[in-house]
Amino acid sequence: MAERYSGYDVLGKRHTPSWNPKTREVIDARLAVYREPRFFTASEWRTLWALCERIVPQPKHRAPVPLPSYVDEKLQCRQLDGYRYASLPPQDEAWRRGLAALEAEAHSAHGAAFTALTSVQQDELLRRMQHGQLMGPAWQGMPCQLFFEHRVLPDITHAYYAHPTAWDEIGFGGPASPRGYVRMGLERRDPWEAPRAQAPGTQAPGSEAPRGEASRATTAPPQGSSQ
Amino acid sequence: MSSRHPPAALLWATLGAVAIGGAGLLLRSRRPRAPTRSATVRAARRLNRAAGLLATSVLADSAVEHYRGSFHNRAMVAPLISGALSLAVSLHGQADRKAAAHRVRDAAYAIAILTGLTGTAFHLYNVAKKPGGFRWENLFYGAPLGAPAALLLSGGTGFLAERVRATPRWHAPRIGALPAGRTVAAATALGLLGTVGEAGLLHFRGAFNDPFMFAPVTLPPLSALCMANAAFGPKRRQRWLTRAMLRLTAWLGLAGVAFHLRGINRQMGGWHNVRQNLLNGPPIPAPPSFSGLALAGLAALGLMEDHPDG
Amino acid sequence: MRQYADNELVDFAVVGTGAGGAPLIARLAESGFSVVGLDAGPYYRPLEDFASDEREQSKLYWLDERLVDGDNPIVMGGKNSGQAVGGSTVHFAMVSLRFRPEWFRSRSLLGYGADWPVDWREMWHYYGIAEQALGIAGPVHYPWGPWRPRYPYRAHELNGAAELLGRGAEALGMKWTPTPLATVSAPRAHAHGRSPPCVYRGFCRFGCSTNAKQSQLVTFIPRALAAGAEIRDLAMVGRIELGHDGRVAGVHYHREGRWRFQRARHVVVAGYAIETPRLLLASATDRHPHGLANSSDLVGRYLMTQSNQAVFGTMPQEVRWYKGPPSLAITEHWNYDDHKAFFGGYCWMAQGPLPVEWATIQTSARGLWGQPLRDAMEKYNYQVGLKMVGEMLPDERNRVTLADERDQYGLRVARVTYSWGENDKALIQHALNQMQMSLEAVGAADIFRQEDDTNHLAGTARMGNDPATSVINPDGRSWDIPNLWVCDGSVFPTTGGVNPSLTITSLALRMADRIGALASRNEL
Repeated sequence: MAERYSGYDVLGKRHTPSWNPKTREVIDARLAVYREPRFFTASEWRTLWALCERIVPQPKHRAPVPLPSYVDEKLQCRQLDGYRYASLPPQDEAWRRGLAALEAEAHSAHGAAFTALTSVQQDELLRRMQHGQLMGPAWQGMPCQLFFEHRVLPDITHAYYAHPTAWDEIGFGGPASPRGYVRMGLERRDPWEAPRAQAPGTQAPGSEAPRGEASRATTAPPQGSSQ
Repeated sequence: MSSRHPPAALLWATLGAVAIGGAGLLLRSRRPRAPTRSATVRAARRLNRAAGLLATSVLADSAVEHYRGSFHNRAMVAPLISGALSLAVSLHGQADRKAAAHRVRDAAYAIAILTGLTGTAFHLYNVAKKPGGFRWENLFYGAPLGAPAALLLSGGTGFLAERVRATPRWHAPRIGALPAGRTVAAATALGLLGTVGEAGLLHFRGAFNDPFMFAPVTLPPLSALCMANAAFGPKRRQRWLTRAMLRLTAWLGLAGVAFHLRGINRQMGGWHNVRQNLLNGPPIPAPPSFSGLALAGLAALGLMEDHPDG
Repeated sequence: MRQYADNELVDFAVVGTGAGGAPLIARLAESGFSVVGLDAGPYYRPLEDFASDEREQSKLYWLDERLVDGDNPIVMGGKNSGQAVGGSTVHFAMVSLRFRPEWFRSRSLLGYGADWPVDWREMWHYYGIAEQALGIAGPVHYPWGPWRPRYPYRAHELNGAAELLGRGAEALGMKWTPTPLATVSAPRAHAHGRSPPCVYRGFCRFGCSTNAKQSQLVTFIPRALAAGAEIRDLAMVGRIELGHDGRVAGVHYHREGRWRFQRARHVVVAGYAIETPRLLLASATDRHPHGLANSSDLVGRYLMTQSNQAVFGTMPQEVRWYKGPPSLAITEHWNYDDHKAFFGGYCWMAQGPLPVEWATIQTSARGLWGQPLRDAMEKYNYQVGLKMVGEMLPDERNRVTLADERDQYGLRVARVTYSWGENDKALIQHALNQMQMSLEAVGAADIFRQEDDTNHLAGTARMGNDPATSVINPDGRSWDIPNLWVCDGSVFPTTGGVNPSLTITSLALRMADRIGALASRNEL
């Protein structure tokens, strides 16, 4: 389906001077992320998949970037951020508690698992989390708003926008070493950059995930490689 | 990756043409000198050759620089066409032993002069409209003000060549009312100074990171001084110093190409990253402008020796 | 590289090899002292070890746990802390600016903060040396402040984002200039290596993989090694040992899985505004129960960060701000204008966040997620932005203390407490309004503000003329212990309205000369 930067493929530059050997090694490892959960339990894993699909909905015409796998890797490998809000527990504890609390809130609001809710219901719960309106005992005092702002959003969106698939979507030049850029000015670009996109604000067809539609969110992690 | 970007093939084709044309200029000069009917024709052919070398430099340099600028304005192909024309008629003139100006050559040189003037105006406009106007950084990175002048010089040198060539037999060559030798010498001095300004600006941008970068702002100004002396000074039979300076300047232009080639290697990725470094590294085709001007200067000296103007 | 044994008594053990530590190590070694520089991070080889990738390169940041609280908790990590030989200069944005002369006497001349015990003319001298040593590429004429010598390299070509800053500033009638940056615009031959000119790859804040960036890692560190200093990487200093004579005897550090002890005649702490007070506090003994050099109770206090708010918008043209160094143009207008209703100054610079950081701005400043986030991200190549570096006033309640929690070495982690004052908030609002006007003037649409961001650090071991109100004397020596020194941004009494790294380096160069002078008088 047509994308905003149709035909642009950052990975196509892998063998050009835009990618040094270290970059190839790093991106190869990213694309080969371990798919099965090592940190999360099976039920947490299902909740996390549903959560990731709401935070970064992905188009149906391609295999999704396996965002939960990157969150799992971050926790399993203890990749820290360099700081933590004093009112939040350490990241692994925060995630366990937060996912359990999300399930508990889903049950108390709708009598069903988070994964079983419609996307509208899921978004509604997440908005309440974002605005600090979830106060159930399962949070054990952890402010749901801080959990959302400082764990959910960064851990999931960072994983997505560190992925070459996302770079293709937004027309980012991607890795650039030793070759950088020559044409720097407004409306100028090098032949090895993404072509010009459609005017901003126009909707790229196909990237719109079903929204407001009472479809069942996927509950099982999709299989298969995205690359 | 994109259809809207000008094809690199255009760039490579131009550079190929330049290589062949430039080689033609140099190779022809190695032929044993055939006896000519007139010293003025010999001088005119030398001037054609100088104009050709200048055109070669302009053609290659504008091809690279305007490719860098993605030919975003269609007029940016003008110096390629005009430079190629100037190079072609210069080759023709170099081979031509007739003692008469050629209409096509004159037309091509006139086009070069016009294109050079128009280009200078365009480049001035480009710098002026940048935020900050004529501040140093815009002179460094905006359209180079001195570059189109090289085309002007090629056309001008060619124009002089045609005038010299058209000298009636038994007459001393004149440009209008002025003695040709002195006129060409004065024009060369001016051209050298302008080219020194351009090299100086760009080498200042490069922070004179290599001591050899001082060479084009030291030697050619001295040559220009010698030429000015030849143009306006007293008559002299021997100008061995001037001749030596001009020869050095001619070689400096060629050595500059070698230095600039080496400069590519000092960029990140060197030749492996050629698509970037050819454009962001030192301009390889620029230095031969000095050689072209030096050749014009040598032709002027020849004219002055053959036809002392009293 | 020369190496010293742990039990060898070296003249100086310097803890930290960043903007303050590295130049000091190099200059001390060049003066003939035996020096060991310890750093908690690895000694990277940029050509081999650095990828063009935001996520991978977060390895350059100080990512160990730190707790943040207060009304306005500070985001740590990439914004302000490095963990590598070369410190944060390995991932800094290379912006190399001089303080305005008046800031060194802001209390006397401008009525706020505290005076520095250093004269601005002396700093001007060391700024000049630092700019030469760091190969700064700057404009031919810098439009503000007293005369300064020409930068060793010419300024870089502007990218689209920087050009828009220039147009906006001109519309508002403000001066602007290409930013002086520590990345070369022409090949540079060092005594011990080469730097090719910048290739404008745009990953500057994630480590320069070409060595064009003149970080401490490619400037002072090689100089230090050549002069006989040892750089000991992956060495986390946990405690400074106090001898029976009341002087410090060396440092305990963790390396290769065990604790070791390096003897030293002098210890210089250069760990920046969090790790420096953390180490001094953690080294408390019976004689110094509140930490070393802390008789004034000021260690850890007067922490300052700098306001780093931004305004972003969408242009009709493609900007593609990922190309080139992120801050290629600057206006310091409001640092040199005193007709404001608040203390302090600020500058703003062009911006070029890469996708992960841009997503962070969308989620944190606008609260976007789901499809709105994806839609916003798709405008990436049309974005333009201006980001301030603003002066925050020193406040003793903003501080670094030790939490009860412990890190992987068993050391207590730092707790960083920060709240903005009313003056800080007024300055931020003023800056946001001005930046928004500038963006509107160039035709940006969908303008939004990033209201909550901070970056650089300073304070926590302030220098001064009075032992009661400062930790460090004008030479960089602690008032309490004569062979314990501090050489980094934590000595700043005020933080100014520009990026601090050049000032840190200049102070370090000055301190090296001060130590040399003291040694020649046998007063060391």
